[in-house]
Amino acid sequence: MDLFAQILVNGVLLGGLYAIMALGLALVWGVLNIVNLAHGAFIMLGAYLSWSLYTFLGIDPFVGLPITAVVMFALGYALQRGLLNLLVRAPMFNTLLITFGLEVVLTYLAQMVFSADFRAINPSYAGASVALGPITIPVARLAAFGAALVLTVGLWLFLLHTRLGRAIRATAQNLVAARLYGVEPMRLYAVTFGLGMALAGMAGTLYGTVSQINPYIGSALTAKSFAIAIIGGLDNPLGVIVGGVLLGVIESLTTLYIGPTFADVASFGILVLVLIIRPGGLIGRTRTA
Amino acid sequence: MKLAYWIGIPAALAVMAGVPWYGSPVLVQFGINALLIAVLAQGWNIIGGFAGYASFGNSVFYGLGSYGVGIAMVQWNLSFGTGMVLGVALAVAFAVLIGLPVLRLRGHYFAIATLALTQVMAAIVSNIDLAGQNVGLVLPPMNDDTMFYELSLGLVVLATLTVFWLTRSRFGFGLIAIRENEVGAGVMGVNTTLYKVSAFALSGIFSALAGGIHAYWITFLDPNSAFDIGVNVKMIIMTVFGGAGTVLGPVVGALVLSAVSELLSSEVTSVASLFFGFVIVAAVVFMPHGMAQILRDWRKAGWRCFVDNIKAYRL
Repeated sequence: MDLFAQILVNGVLLGGLYAIMALGLALVWGVLNIVNLAHGAFIMLGAYLSWSLYTFLGIDPFVGLPITAVVMFALGYALQRGLLNLLVRAPMFNTLLITFGLEVVLTYLAQMVFSADFRAINPSYAGASVALGPITIPVARLAAFGAALVLTVGLWLFLLHTRLGRAIRATAQNLVAARLYGVEPMRLYAVTFGLGMALAGMAGTLYGTVSQINPYIGSALTAKSFAIAIIGGLDNPLGVIVGGVLLGVIESLTTLYIGPTFADVASFGILVLVLIIRPGGLIGRTRTA
Repeated sequence: MKLAYWIGIPAALAVMAGVPWYGSPVLVQFGINALLIAVLAQGWNIIGGFAGYASFGNSVFYGLGSYGVGIAMVQWNLSFGTGMVLGVALAVAFAVLIGLPVLRLRGHYFAIATLALTQVMAAIVSNIDLAGQNVGLVLPPMNDDTMFYELSLGLVVLATLTVFWLTRSRFGFGLIAIRENEVGAGVMGVNTTLYKVSAFALSGIFSALAGGIHAYWITFLDPNSAFDIGVNVKMIIMTVFGGAGTVLGPVVGALVLSAVSELLSSEVTSVASLFFGFVIVAAVVFMPHGMAQILRDWRKAGWRCFVDNIKAYRL
């Protein structure tokens, strides 16, 4: 029973991290209708950014979160403004392909700059843990989970209550109508993509504190983010949290009771089932795919 | 134009068929790889280019084809041909069983569901004893590159003829109708489910055949390389680069891009992949409909066709 509880806690903590990984992907997908295959590469970039800040300047990863966010926002904004805006109206294949091309470029740039070695962000508290009865909770994972929760709720409030957030949601629902009400899509798309990349960057920071990084982690993270975004639905950041936690718990339980190689079978199997039964996500309103 | 095709294509085929006799062994090996990718791209063209379903599941067919040959030859001591039949049978069964539920999804959702299936299949196969689990299978060696080359070339021709048939058959028009407007196609009497599943299976057959040849040629396969999503991404890139939904586009795209990537990796080894990424990005921006469209519009518009292409899809 203790083991079960421990696995459950691990799964939930992992799920928080998963959620924030998927949040940026879901935002960009929902608003721009671009499935960003480079999303995982941006997470990887964020992780390396924090690693550099920590290793060369001694800035704690959690303190450095805003710096990573700002840098990644600027990168995302420029990329959307200069490149992706050129083909937002193109067929789906083309946006899939160009983001895949970006993923390749980012991965190999990272390999040239940071080398292919594994890195980890190891602040002094990296190995520390608190005991809660028979359950141990690693401090770094708990902090990452907390940060993910705060960011998600923050994004939710931002989308719900600010002028810019409303403009983003309006554009997601109907571009033409939003345009008629004075939304300038060129800029709004760039801001949204920038936000998505800032979230990806911060997810990378948190990922780097609990796991090892190398330039090639991107595509696996993209696949995972997909699964969570679909399970949670694209409408609502809180749905993504539920999707992330659900997936984290299921993966942990599968690893323990069936075998580690089946963790992916479980998560992607659920993804396919959710897609077929409820294409709008478990939480979101049902939508025909 | 017609005449150019009637002379040009047989001439190009003859030149390609002769490569094992006048080309270097390296060229032949490059040729086998490039031709197999051309088969994959042409196969993907059926479901992706004609029916308009962005399948990431063709890697599954590729893997099933590889494992069909692998299991038949290693575990059951059967011939290569029997293995290919087994691989194709597996692919068709998968296309029907999985295609029925998954082809109900559209757009990105279909893409992602098939992407997930590839991951699931890799994990499942790595737990099957018969398939050698994680270790994979080692096939009996067969050092006859000429045979593999001509086999691959024949498969390219077969795939291209199939796609040519699509452009002038009821089945092909049905698929194009589904791509343009699925509901409309259904209203006009196209049995959309049957057509889509058939296209998925047909596309899968070619992927499986290519996978089988590749497995026997390389003489080794394991779950990660057989169900590699990268192979599927390559198919899509080659097809879109050449021109999705055209007859020759995917083959030309596959040969040109394979050559570019090969040249890059021999000239600028360390940054080859990086350049390849830039090539993809530039290709999508400047020729969203592939080389086929550029070749068609060049005479009319010249360099302007690139500018027109950008204008067509910008915000």
